[in-house]
Amino acid sequence: MTNVYVHGVGMTQFGTFVDRTMKDLLLDACIQALNEAGNPKVDAVYVGNFMGGSIYNQEILGAIVANELGLGFIPTAKVEGACASGGIAVRQGVLGIQSGEYETVLVAGVEKMKHASTADVTQAINAAMDNDSNEKRAGLTFPGFFGVLANRYFFETGASKKHLAMVALKNRENAIQNPLAQFRKPATLEEIMEARMITNPLGLYDCSPMTDGAAAIVLSSKKSPVHVRSSAQSSGPTQMQDADDLLSIPAIRESGRLAYKKAGVGPEDIDVVEIHDCFSMTEMLAIEELGFFSKREGWKAIEEGRTKVTGDKPVNTSGGLLSRGHPIGATGISQLYQLVHQLRGTAPNQVAGNPRLALAQNLGGTGSYSVVHILERV
Amino acid sequence: MKIFACTSCDYHSVTSKYTCPKCQQGKLQEKEVSTKGTVYSFTDIHVAPAEFAHIAPYTVALIELDEASVKVTARMDSEVAIGDAVDLKGLEEGAFIYTKAN
Repeated sequence: MTNVYVHGVGMTQFGTFVDRTMKDLLLDACIQALNEAGNPKVDAVYVGNFMGGSIYNQEILGAIVANELGLGFIPTAKVEGACASGGIAVRQGVLGIQSGEYETVLVAGVEKMKHASTADVTQAINAAMDNDSNEKRAGLTFPGFFGVLANRYFFETGASKKHLAMVALKNRENAIQNPLAQFRKPATLEEIMEARMITNPLGLYDCSPMTDGAAAIVLSSKKSPVHVRSSAQSSGPTQMQDADDLLSIPAIRESGRLAYKKAGVGPEDIDVVEIHDCFSMTEMLAIEELGFFSKREGWKAIEEGRTKVTGDKPVNTSGGLLSRGHPIGATGISQLYQLVHQLRGTAPNQVAGNPRLALAQNLGGTGSYSVVHILERV
Repeated sequence: MKIFACTSCDYHSVTSKYTCPKCQQGKLQEKEVSTKGTVYSFTDIHVAPAEFAHIAPYTVALIELDEASVKVTARMDSEVAIGDAVDLKGLEEGAFIYTKAN
């Protein structure tokens, strides 16, 4: 099969940019990635985006990129997969190259959220739930789902709100060192635990924020020092009441299993990880589902500091969604931005020992989609 | 309460499916069971989307039915804890409203 390599990455500052348009952010990230790749001839463009249509009234993002950058009349598409839009867009680029149809693909992700009210954004995000269901009509929300999950996790394990706070604190400490992160102000464990309640037991710091931002990546069949060792995707239950085991997210587990199988490696081989921590609880569960720690024991690994930059399995060295920020369509690509820098040895919070294998996991919905990419320094 | 049971394996669900997601062979058939159940987990929603903002904070619970291995998402009429016995109070705009059982 054709190998796929990373030739360039780009990312805007994540945060609140009321004076920058979605197009401006999107093109900024694309130009950075293309420049880094040496401005190659691009054969196709994929753009990950979730709510451009619903809260920004802007679609045709792929064609806008091709036109504004003068890439020619090449095929383009916008990819929507809720919060996994970016990761799925990257996977479409990988598949396009592996099929032999394209040699070089530009993949970007973008979201503009900060111009809208929290209630309107919460409503728009709810589009990623099954709205024709008794569950949605009961008033369940995204943070609500992970709140229900967290209370059960506490009930079945020795974990408590303090362990969720430790995840949020770790990711905040990592973001402080990342110049592109949204939140770089130090926080204390007490502050995090006492913050305003969103959906019991999740407080403000346990939930990823609304963010403006964009990220981009150039992929090609031509060789480079960063190889896309595997790309895998799965789906899962779209309703909480359909979960066989509430403390398992099958899409994460299955996408991880497939990615390891395709790469011929196991969780023990991975040197550095970016995980979809839309909520602190999600990170605690994902490190179990991806096989880094045993089921129902992720909280212990967090308590022991094993997921810190200095730990044996560093997770979210960028600050994660919680503190790097979560411009929905850009998130999956910003994870790869951090990992490519980790493999090059140029990342903020660079992990020791010249990492060789890096894993990114991007989640959509409450477990509706999950994408895993494994990158390798070659 | 109406639930759906697979004709060829032990899968049960409160929602219908075209084919059984567990064995991928059987079809789902309607079955009537008691609305009584136990709180499996819950959350109190303090920050609600625009359409539910007027009733926040409110409690949403995942309820395990007593007569089938089925879980149902419902809105509670009061705060609850895991393990509480609950029963259906009624339907409200397509949502199950549950209450603590006496």
